[in-house]
Amino acid sequence: MNKYITAYYMDEEDLMKGLRQMKAKGLKISDVLTPFPVHGIDKVLEIPRSRLTRVGFIAGAVGAAVAFGFQAWVFTIDYPLNFGGKPFFSVPSFIPVTFELTVLFAAFAMVIAFLITNKLSPGAKPLIHDERCTDDRFLVVVKVDDDSSDESISQIKLALAEAGAEGILLKA
Amino acid sequence: MENQTFILTKKLSTITFVMIAIGLLTLGASYFAGVGLDRIAANLLLNTYYFLAIGLIGLFIVAVHTIAESGWHTSIQRIGEAMSTFIPVAGLLLLILFVSGGLHLIYDWTHKDHLDEILLKKVAYLNEPFFYIRFLVYFIIWISLAYFIRKNSKQLDQFGDLKYFRKLRIFSAIFVVTLALTSVTSAWDWLMSIDAHWFSTLYGWYVFSSMLASGTAVLIIILFMLKQMGYMDHVNHEHIHDLGKYLFGFSIFWAYLWFSQYMLIWYANIPEETIYFYERHKNFSTIFYVNLILNFIVPFLALMTRNSKRGSLILLPVALIVFIGHWLDLYQLIMPGAVGGENAGIGLPEIGITIGYAGLFLLVVFRSLTKAPLVPKNHPFFKESFEYHTQY
Amino acid sequence: MYTSPLREPLIRGNKNYKQVTDDILAPMAGTPSIYWYIGISIAGLGLLFGAWATYITVFYGIGEWGTNKTVGWAWDITNFVWWVGIGHAGTFISAILLLFRQKWRTSINRSAEAMTLIAVMCAGFFPLIHMGRLLLGFFIFPYPNTRLLWVNFNSPLLWDVFAISTYFLVSLIFWYVGLIPDLGTVRDRAKTKIRKAIYGFLSFGWTGSARHWSRHETVSLILAGLAAPLVLSVHTIVSFDFATSVIPGWHTTIFPPYFVSGAVFSGFAMVLTLMIISRKALNLEDYITVNHIESMNKIIILTGSIVGIAYLTEFFMAWYSGVEFETYAFFNRAFGPYAWAYWIMMTCNVITPQLFWFKKIRRSVLFTFIISIFVNIGMWFERFVIVVTSLHRDYLPSSWTMYRPTIVEVGLYVGTFGLFFTLFLLFIRVFPVIAIAEVKGVLKSSGEKTKTTGHE
Repeated sequence: MNKYITAYYMDEEDLMKGLRQMKAKGLKISDVLTPFPVHGIDKVLEIPRSRLTRVGFIAGAVGAAVAFGFQAWVFTIDYPLNFGGKPFFSVPSFIPVTFELTVLFAAFAMVIAFLITNKLSPGAKPLIHDERCTDDRFLVVVKVDDDSSDESISQIKLALAEAGAEGILLKA
Repeated sequence: MENQTFILTKKLSTITFVMIAIGLLTLGASYFAGVGLDRIAANLLLNTYYFLAIGLIGLFIVAVHTIAESGWHTSIQRIGEAMSTFIPVAGLLLLILFVSGGLHLIYDWTHKDHLDEILLKKVAYLNEPFFYIRFLVYFIIWISLAYFIRKNSKQLDQFGDLKYFRKLRIFSAIFVVTLALTSVTSAWDWLMSIDAHWFSTLYGWYVFSSMLASGTAVLIIILFMLKQMGYMDHVNHEHIHDLGKYLFGFSIFWAYLWFSQYMLIWYANIPEETIYFYERHKNFSTIFYVNLILNFIVPFLALMTRNSKRGSLILLPVALIVFIGHWLDLYQLIMPGAVGGENAGIGLPEIGITIGYAGLFLLVVFRSLTKAPLVPKNHPFFKESFEYHTQY
Repeated sequence: MYTSPLREPLIRGNKNYKQVTDDILAPMAGTPSIYWYIGISIAGLGLLFGAWATYITVFYGIGEWGTNKTVGWAWDITNFVWWVGIGHAGTFISAILLLFRQKWRTSINRSAEAMTLIAVMCAGFFPLIHMGRLLLGFFIFPYPNTRLLWVNFNSPLLWDVFAISTYFLVSLIFWYVGLIPDLGTVRDRAKTKIRKAIYGFLSFGWTGSARHWSRHETVSLILAGLAAPLVLSVHTIVSFDFATSVIPGWHTTIFPPYFVSGAVFSGFAMVLTLMIISRKALNLEDYITVNHIESMNKIIILTGSIVGIAYLTEFFMAWYSGVEFETYAFFNRAFGPYAWAYWIMMTCNVITPQLFWFKKIRRSVLFTFIISIFVNIGMWFERFVIVVTSLHRDYLPSSWTMYRPTIVEVGLYVGTFGLFFTLFLLFIRVFPVIAIAEVKGVLKSSGEKTKTTGHE
């Protein structure tokens, strides 16, 4: 069971200033909860650029291959039928469906990957530190081990206070 | 923000003059070597139109960003303005080409005594007096608006009065609206009427999308040239990223229109319409596919990732490829009708004359770049552009 | 990020983050107003009318319609294209305007996207009902079956199946991904246990973690990148339904971009109609300002003018082509028995939007409302003109005829209106109508406080 120390800011510019100070002091920030994406926070928290785009690219390529391959197979091998004198392997005709399935595969794969990597799912029960994080508070969360001493906890609290954070709380 | 004024060095202007000389020499040599006059005339039309369109797109990009109140673009608007100074030069060259007999070499409908039943129906539109009237109308509109936009932009920088900004917006709006009409009809006049029997409602927009892509490519190329020479320090990765996105987007848009036009004609299979692509499949089949590869597949795959759009490493070669690709696209619009499968080809005349035109274009653009500070510091959105950074 | 002082604020009234949340969530709280009940009752009546018409059509067949051997497609396809067109604005706003970094989109994208989804549902109803046997609708999907048959991938009608269903599904997930953070907000402010449980379930456990936000931004951006060409493709493929044929007036290469432009045009008009009512009814005038209306009106001029140029191009080419059937089709449109429909279309689509060149009109809420309705009407007539006038006088003069709708067809159309407004009114009660997190994201750079204090 982990313990958390939380503290909040009421403005994203104060938050960014505070985060830089905490980082300079070597405080390990576990997470920051914000009501909207804060510009530049990725750099301070060293969050790597998301690789979800690759999932999208691969799934899109698969979608294109499946759609084109399937149509070509149906019309040249499985059931060649003459429609309006068009050739059986009529590439221009296959493009619209190929395009649509490319987009469909890429979009769904990306969203599913997004939900999985974020551990988001219908009915997930997240730990809600502060209900106002989705409203107007910018919450800094620091994880502390169960057996960490009171001294280190108060040090973290002090660092948070020095960085101008409000409402410092220790939660079990 | 040093190096605010562009200085045309001796070396640079010599290079452009050498290029122009190569063009003139090839032109003369092709004439005396017995290259068909129709092929020479078609080449001149191809290059004049190509660089004219690039100039128009330069101005179009400036105008659109002005009326859309875009902030980021302010940093690079001088390049687009400079590109527009080629419009009058191209107008003059085109007029000389047409008056000196090029018109009869290129356009079948000018042979009044040999018109067939279908062409006779079109005489009300396709006749020489009306053709020249339209020609003059186009160039009067384009040249005057290019002049006013450049003038107000310069004055805005000099005096910093918002009055000029408002004027700039009005002229830009007029230019965008008139270009929307004239770009379509001029493409009919100069390009579609080469194959006078054939028609396609999408044609004007298709040509415009092609020019949009090549104009953006040239803008990117000139920007990197200037950066190489030590100018345009205020342009950062974000601006380049946006231009890269444009090149990516316009290439896809071009492919979309190409497909729409081709697919509908292929699908409906009406002989009067399919003959256009039949000719291109039969005698120009390599160019037919190369066109798609250079203008769609290359930019689509190469510019897909974020990093490729943010620096010169990939973006510059792709811009060059797109520039060549749309030249080829224009080639396959003009040559099958104007020269025909047997006589057309891509050889020394094509390459030499294009080099000449490129030299002339660069000379005109560089000359006009020297006339205004590269950094429009007093533009009301300049600060937004200068401090430009974004998350994506 | 620096914003030029020339730019007008997008959020009025010196809001702070809490006020933004409160204002936007206000319409969801408490009991609905009397107007809401009146609205949903009228919509319900429309829905009932539609249900009756559906019953008649399914039981007695499409012989109950005014369509005949010559005019085989009429109101149903007109309504289908019209609704799909309206469904283009939402994804255009969220995808293409996101790519162009238009900040004003944040106040309108949520409800416009909801409108898109509902409009696509209304649209999908028409081809289904035209099949006659509603229960066999699944035949349009390629699945291994005992008949050993595949669908015809050469047919534009089948491309439509893929285009519309992909568009619906991708728009749905795009909309929902954007909705997740806001549903988290609703959950965290819920007073009752049931509400908390429901929104807790719907919000997928969103907490607002910086890592989640980082991925959320990536996913939104790439979905926008995917949705942008998707928007273009949908109406392109709808236009292929007509343009791949050899019917004069239908087969013309300009159709794809011209249909897309018309779709965005009509979609924005519908968004304006709805927004002008809802900003008033829901007290959101600080968020959907005159500035927003003006920006949308500029898109109306742009797309309206593109449509206008396309009309002129088509008309000119009909003559220039020298094809007598083509020439006659256009002559018949403008001066034949359906000329009234053609001139309604021309007036509403080409002339009225040009009034927006005047800044006064562009910024007048009343004028915008009126013109937006004109555009809606005009775009409906555009499809009617394309479908009916091209068909009713075909190559064979002996089968020339007229078309007139029956009460059943009217019922189906009114029914989709009922569906549209019922679902939209439910939407504003159940979900936040404005993207709360996105508005907060631009509050600093585009709120009023920044503007007055010059704060960067």
